[in-house]
Amino acid sequence: MRNLAARVVIPPTPESTPAENFIRGAVRHRGEILIYALVLVAVAISLLPYYWMVSSSLRTMENMFRVPIQWIPNPVNWRSYVLAWNAQNFPRYFFNSFVVAVAITLGNLLLCSLAGYSLAKFHYFGRGLLFILILSTMMLPLEVTMVPLFLIIKRLDWANSYQGLIVPFLVDGFGVFLMRQYMLGIPKDLIDSARIDGASELKIYWQIVLPLCKPALVALGVFMFREAWDMYIWPLIIVSKDSLRTLPLAISLFMSSYGTAWDQLMAIAVLGTLPMIILFFFLQRAFIQGIAVSGLKE
Amino acid sequence: MSSAVHAQPFTVRRRLRVGLATKQAAFGYMILLPTLAILLIFRFLPMLEAFVISFSQYDLIHPPRFIGFANFVDLVHDPLFRNSARVSLIYVVFSVLPVWPLSLALAVLFNRSLFLKDLLRSSVFMPVVMPAVVMAVVWTFMYQQDGVLNTILGWVGIDPIPWLRSSSTALPAVILIGIWRATPYYMVIFLAGLQAIPNEYYEAAEIDGASRWAVFRDITLPLLKPTTLLVMVMTVIVAMKVFAVPMIMTGGGPSDSTRVLPLFIYQTAFEFFDMGRAAAMSVFLFVAVMLFSVAQIRIFTRGED
Repeated sequence: MRNLAARVVIPPTPESTPAENFIRGAVRHRGEILIYALVLVAVAISLLPYYWMVSSSLRTMENMFRVPIQWIPNPVNWRSYVLAWNAQNFPRYFFNSFVVAVAITLGNLLLCSLAGYSLAKFHYFGRGLLFILILSTMMLPLEVTMVPLFLIIKRLDWANSYQGLIVPFLVDGFGVFLMRQYMLGIPKDLIDSARIDGASELKIYWQIVLPLCKPALVALGVFMFREAWDMYIWPLIIVSKDSLRTLPLAISLFMSSYGTAWDQLMAIAVLGTLPMIILFFFLQRAFIQGIAVSGLKE
Repeated sequence: MSSAVHAQPFTVRRRLRVGLATKQAAFGYMILLPTLAILLIFRFLPMLEAFVISFSQYDLIHPPRFIGFANFVDLVHDPLFRNSARVSLIYVVFSVLPVWPLSLALAVLFNRSLFLKDLLRSSVFMPVVMPAVVMAVVWTFMYQQDGVLNTILGWVGIDPIPWLRSSSTALPAVILIGIWRATPYYMVIFLAGLQAIPNEYYEAAEIDGASRWAVFRDITLPLLKPTTLLVMVMTVIVAMKVFAVPMIMTGGGPSDSTRVLPLFIYQTAFEFFDMGRAAAMSVFLFVAVMLFSVAQIRIFTRGED
């Protein structure tokens, strides 16, 4: 808030601030008002499900479908959170989701950066072909390979296990592509001079290349964490034991068994979204960057 | 040190360099190996196996039995499969077409100076932050007969819509969520594309006194073409894979109206245990995904050797 006030009173640059533009624009151009109206409609549509989720988690069941609709919960029903949290083994499901998402994120950071480094900075036979091969895994989504992948996991006896949930996703074709593109920009002289100084290849990767890739790594990490936190179809297929359920699986099962207890369902929905919101709040730029680069070619 | 190297005979220096190059190549292979191993075992092997299973009858209990093209022939004549393919096609077309202009329009709106721009942009981005399963649960609640959406529609005089309970409105309801989720995602990609357009073009247009629309049509759109192509392909691929939302919200109903292909594959395999038939359907889906993925990879790697 303080920042904003400072910007309005003392323009940091000779150019006018957005706030001044807003006022001047509102006076001079009707088009400006239209633009703000459109943006506000978009904001309302984007946030309505959030508002409805949070407010309904705090609404009592008697007021849930009242006519006229109750926009602000009154009385506030905090008990829905307690009831939902204790209804099933939710601490365990949260723990499982964290273990799986963290392991998949760390695995991708390590393996994608190693593979990307290899493809960007080393010369060997078959490199171009291997790169295309890795890229082509992007056309083999789980929705296509779920049947045989399940059979492979069963053969490994990995159904109902953490390794079954984690290992198949430790590396991702898109992640390798992202890291390779980023590492192409690292000057070769930097690596060569480290070699002349006698640094081992592993040390060059760990102490010179990786620190230079920090922005790409953060973006990739956030991207992968979000994907892993979101994962639904795979746990649905290979997990039947309660103790290994991840949060998305647990929420969907909670909905089929507590389908009408909307206050508790919304409370669990809020809790399941919270880690993503926290991640977005603290790593907003990386969060958006990870998505922006999924559409960039260089 | 360097004078010592120069003093060596040519052949020794050459062998030294070749030796170093081999050592480096070996390291390059070594660090690529874990990635190759995982992708081979958990991506390529399953795809090969999908083809093999698609030619057999397999229920997980009895050993697989080779039956040739029977699964494929059955599928082509199966009204349920044809319905599912049709539902998927409708879902893809109608969840993708609105996203292109909407996400581009939002990106253009946010690519200019706005009061509280960062806050507004983050708010519009929020649908991407919500986990897919949570999204399905929350929207199911909003789609209730006495729910918030029908209330808001009532304000403008629209009668309550049965949403998920009617076979004519369930698929549009599912499509609407897809649009809600995808639009901000591709807005971010379009924004990145817009910001990559050099400002000089716009300055030149301003000097020439071009109108806003002319600038958009003659400068922004042509220079945004690579991004637009990529967004088109990506949206289609993502839409072909939709699963969580129809699975949780409708389970494919009412009367099969939301049974998209991935959902039908899942149900055939893990509810009816007909692995062969499910694998044959996967092959169909694979071909569709592959056509668009090849386009995506070509856009990705354009301009490289």
